[in-house]
Amino acid sequence: MPEPPRKGHDADMQSSWLADDDLPDAASQVAAATRRATPGHFDEWRSLTASAAALAGSSAGNTPAAHWRQFFTSLGTAGWSDMAARADRVQQRVREDGATYNVYAEGGDASRPWPLELLPFIVQPAEWAAIELGVVQRARLMAATLTDIYGAQTLLRDALLPASLVFAHPHYLRPAHGLWPALATPLHIAAFDLARKPDGGFCVLAQRLQAPSGLGYLLENRLIIGRQFSDEFASLRAQRLAATFRSLLDGLMRASPAGAHSRVVLLTPGPFNETYFEQVFLARYLGVTLVEGSDLTVRGKRLFLKSLHGLEPVHVVLRRVDDEFLDPLELRPDSQLGVPGLLQALRAGEVVMANAPGAGVLESPGLTAFWPGVAERLLGERLRLPASTSWWCGEAAVWASQRAKLADFVVAPTFPGSGFKPCVAAHLPEAERAALLARIDAQPAAFTLQARVRPGETPVWRDGSLQPRAAVLRVFALADGAGGWRVLPGALTRVAGRPSAHPGSAFDPWLSMQNGSASVDTWVITRGEVDETSMLPKPLTAGELSSWQRSVSSRAAEALFWLGRYTERAENAIRLTRLTLESLHGGSKPVLHLLGELAHFHGLVDSAVPSPARAPRLFERALVHGLPASDDASRYVTSVGDSLRCLRQCAQVLRERLSPEHWKLINEVDDHFEQHLANVLGDGKAGSDMPARGEGEAADVLGVLARSATHLAAITGAQTDRMMRDDGWRLLSVGRQVERLAMLSHALALGFEHRLHESDDGFLLLLGLFDSVITYRARFQARREALPLLHLLVMDTDNPRSLAWVARTMRDRLRKLARDDAPWVASVTDPLSMPESWPLADLARADDDGRHSALIYALQQCNAAARSLSDEVGRHLFAHVDSPDRTVWQ
Amino acid sequence: MSDWVLRAAAPSQSPSQSPSQSQSQSGSQSQSQSQSPGPLQSPPDIPLTAAPTPPRIPLPRGPRQLAVRHETRYDYDRPVEVAHHSAWLRPRDTEVQQVQRWALKIEPQPDDAVQASQDVFGNWRHGFSHARVHDTLTVTSVFQVQLAAPPPLDAALSPPWEEAAQALRYRAGVTQPDAVEFVLASHFAPCDARLAAFAQDLFTPQRPLLQAALALMSRIYQRMEFNSQATDVATNALQALEKGQGVCQDFAHLMIGAMRSLGLAARYVSGYLLTEPPAGQPRLIGADATHAWVEVWCPLYGWVALDPTNDIAVGQDHVTLAWGRDYADVAPLRGVIRGGGTAPPEVGVTVEPV
Repeated sequence: MPEPPRKGHDADMQSSWLADDDLPDAASQVAAATRRATPGHFDEWRSLTASAAALAGSSAGNTPAAHWRQFFTSLGTAGWSDMAARADRVQQRVREDGATYNVYAEGGDASRPWPLELLPFIVQPAEWAAIELGVVQRARLMAATLTDIYGAQTLLRDALLPASLVFAHPHYLRPAHGLWPALATPLHIAAFDLARKPDGGFCVLAQRLQAPSGLGYLLENRLIIGRQFSDEFASLRAQRLAATFRSLLDGLMRASPAGAHSRVVLLTPGPFNETYFEQVFLARYLGVTLVEGSDLTVRGKRLFLKSLHGLEPVHVVLRRVDDEFLDPLELRPDSQLGVPGLLQALRAGEVVMANAPGAGVLESPGLTAFWPGVAERLLGERLRLPASTSWWCGEAAVWASQRAKLADFVVAPTFPGSGFKPCVAAHLPEAERAALLARIDAQPAAFTLQARVRPGETPVWRDGSLQPRAAVLRVFALADGAGGWRVLPGALTRVAGRPSAHPGSAFDPWLSMQNGSASVDTWVITRGEVDETSMLPKPLTAGELSSWQRSVSSRAAEALFWLGRYTERAENAIRLTRLTLESLHGGSKPVLHLLGELAHFHGLVDSAVPSPARAPRLFERALVHGLPASDDASRYVTSVGDSLRCLRQCAQVLRERLSPEHWKLINEVDDHFEQHLANVLGDGKAGSDMPARGEGEAADVLGVLARSATHLAAITGAQTDRMMRDDGWRLLSVGRQVERLAMLSHALALGFEHRLHESDDGFLLLLGLFDSVITYRARFQARREALPLLHLLVMDTDNPRSLAWVARTMRDRLRKLARDDAPWVASVTDPLSMPESWPLADLARADDDGRHSALIYALQQCNAAARSLSDEVGRHLFAHVDSPDRTVWQ
Repeated sequence: MSDWVLRAAAPSQSPSQSPSQSQSQSGSQSQSQSQSPGPLQSPPDIPLTAAPTPPRIPLPRGPRQLAVRHETRYDYDRPVEVAHHSAWLRPRDTEVQQVQRWALKIEPQPDDAVQASQDVFGNWRHGFSHARVHDTLTVTSVFQVQLAAPPPLDAALSPPWEEAAQALRYRAGVTQPDAVEFVLASHFAPCDARLAAFAQDLFTPQRPLLQAALALMSRIYQRMEFNSQATDVATNALQALEKGQGVCQDFAHLMIGAMRSLGLAARYVSGYLLTEPPAGQPRLIGADATHAWVEVWCPLYGWVALDPTNDIAVGQDHVTLAWGRDYADVAPLRGVIRGGGTAPPEVGVTVEPV
């Protein structure tokens, strides 16, 4: 618990000890630890405008507004002293959920934990009613404007909107003309960034219309913060969110040609998008399929999802792919994120998209000053929510009159993609401001002047005190499909990372997450009923339930198959490396020959490295230093590190299907392996130039490998015990068995070729490669005979490493997987060997010259069958997802 | 030149280009996909049009009837699995042009009925797709067209060019002409100081707009060399200016870019040109080419069509297909395919008097 501040010890931190002694304990305690808002900003804590006068005298005290008093009264003194622990729990939940935000500027894998503040932003009923009316009006205005711009264009002809602004905007999409039916709305989700003005009213700073982000994060914030303050949430009567989401989905289905039976998907740009986490989250919450462009295909004029069981019709697309990338045929031809022909499907009315392409043009800040006139024309109404003052320089008279006052403004680009970043002109050095003036003179239409904003400040919790931070609310209007709009009773609110008084930080009206702002949950207090609607869909009937299955997209299917293969491959490579390092010194010639050949075959050492039978130390060094992952594509080595990295890449694609533990383990095994190996090998990848450290190094490496093997065993556990055994899982299993069968049949054939079964250490090595040493000893003790060896490694269907078990499992999985396509299953499984029916006695007998040629032949056939099965699975089930579409022009 | 009266039917000067019909229509077009970002960067890299031979015979005064056949054929190296195409191949009706008996033949048959729609400029757009494996694709557009003589215009009567530029500038509450869209930079015809400089001295103060435009057309014709190997369909106006060479598409883009850089409106027209075989030789089927020219916006006369490749005003030998800001808006056929390898299209065009 923080010390009660002594009066006067901090000019900013007004003690209300004496003035407010009628307050309940908790609230007064908090008030005492609350900093005043910056003069000139609205103070959410007191719900009034902070003024310099109030700061000077302490007579007004720091009395919180009624809703904050209620919040902290409900929390109590115990709750207040527990704030630090709650803040920790919030951070922990964020980490557990894997909530991240990808920061582009840092390149590569720069995902950061989602920054979430402990305290909510609280909106009172009367304030919300005004926001609601104003936001709905703006949403209607945006929809009507889109219909005009992509239709009759009266606004442009009559100069209510400047044609040179709209037509020059890169997101004005000419192919969007006539894309939606006359009476349908092109807009389903509209987001508006609002700030509280110093006078207490709200104003619009910006709007997001093509693919607004934030709904998923908003939900995540609510789930985490609502749980921390569940009593306060209930006692303040904060409104719930589900009913509005439900109405959006119902509305989209109503607009769709397939009605209530519509298939809804959320189209994502993929894991590298800055807000991928929330897209996964939102798709789960809404119960819709998350897809990438390559999962979808247009056939004729209809849209389909490519799935493991063929093409499934799709009717509604919620999309997070930006306008220009939606269709390489009619929009950006270089887009790999879209679906060729998608616009044709939209035009044919076969698909409803939220939002329709083309809305991006209305996001331009240059349009701000024109909205009142447009509202007058299209709606016959005055705008209820004002916008912050803004001037488009493309109008000669405007630029001429504002030019001298540049320092009063934030200068923003009118069009996206120009590379110009919004800047506060007053903060620019003289020379740069002059350069900016010249730049605007040369291209006035490209710039927009925006008045500086003083957003209201809301309290955030910092180490025992509450501090004011500028806040901007992103409020969402969602269409109800019947021509109306509902405003989601909540917001994604961003708060500044620093106090407003901090130089340069106060007037970034965008408070972008890219620039280090944090988010807060937003509670809308209701006077009416709290809506208890849940997002759980209506109960399934028994009939529906029996045929209920989650469809697996072809892309997910391919990733699952390879997840299986890479898990197995990494395990095999680690086992092989460990066995090799243990046998290198003192191994018999045949053993060394076999190990050398296997290492070459599996790409663990370069083919130029001589056999360990000739140069064991050289081989050891090459093996050890070949372990890390490499970015050198020309290198002919597929190291353990490479397999682990590929494993991770597969997991990334499958993130929404993997349990958090599974996901975490896969990331950890890769990270730990790289780190520990780098420690052991000194400078890691530069190792080949270093003098060999000999056996000490090899021993350390063995330790690293052992740890990774344990990790992989845990991953295998997660795969066998923590995944739904659906078709996706079956495919993962097939991937593992393919890899295992190919590896073991090859190793065993090669082993008998080198007659390893004839020597003690060779016999042991064969058992080791099959991970069956302990089982063999328990059954056959010290016997060293080909027959029991082959029985255990080939025939025994109780041994999950025997060829018979592997082949049988693979057949079973494929049969279930493709149960509707028996001829295909037969065509792929028939060529597969059935080792349990091999004539073992014959195969165990050597020829006159001592060779086991029949056995070796059978094993080679088995190996070839495994490989060709893999190819056929790829062709048939994954539909060439790796070959990109190409654009051709005549 | 300054008092040249524009008459659509006026025979042009004899062109300096050889009447050779040898420009390859297929050329070395590569279909390899461009990896470079940015819009409209991935067209294949050959000229899609060849130098048309301008008319030599006096034009008839009455309406003229032409028959056109335009065939595009892809022979793919490797089978195509899925293909989506959009075609801007159906000519539009205009004040002087009436299209008759237009038909589009696609081989193999598309999966679904061809989807017809009109784009934002009023051009016809046809969408079709194939989801069955195929090795070749042939798209043939056949039609007849009746062309009336365009009304005569007097260039000297057109308003000063500054007035036209002023009419295209935004002023609050003042009705804007549709032509505003064609003042703005586009991918192939950007606004640039170098393009403005190329034309600036012809646009003397108060000079009638169309006189200046005619002078600009002549300048392009004189300074630019027709060479079908110098540029490709990805070349923009600035690049063509730097090279000093190009095909009709480049000539048109250069003229459009220069006009826009001066604050004037100009648009790109794709179409066909009737060509006459050399004397004594039979007309070669498929030897003609798709063609492109320019329309300049005049507050008095509206859109006035000029052909900088031949330094003539457009008359009854030009068949209009579609118009847009530049080539990218009206490429006759564009597609996205899966598979296919590399396959340069073979294009054959025949324009014949009926």
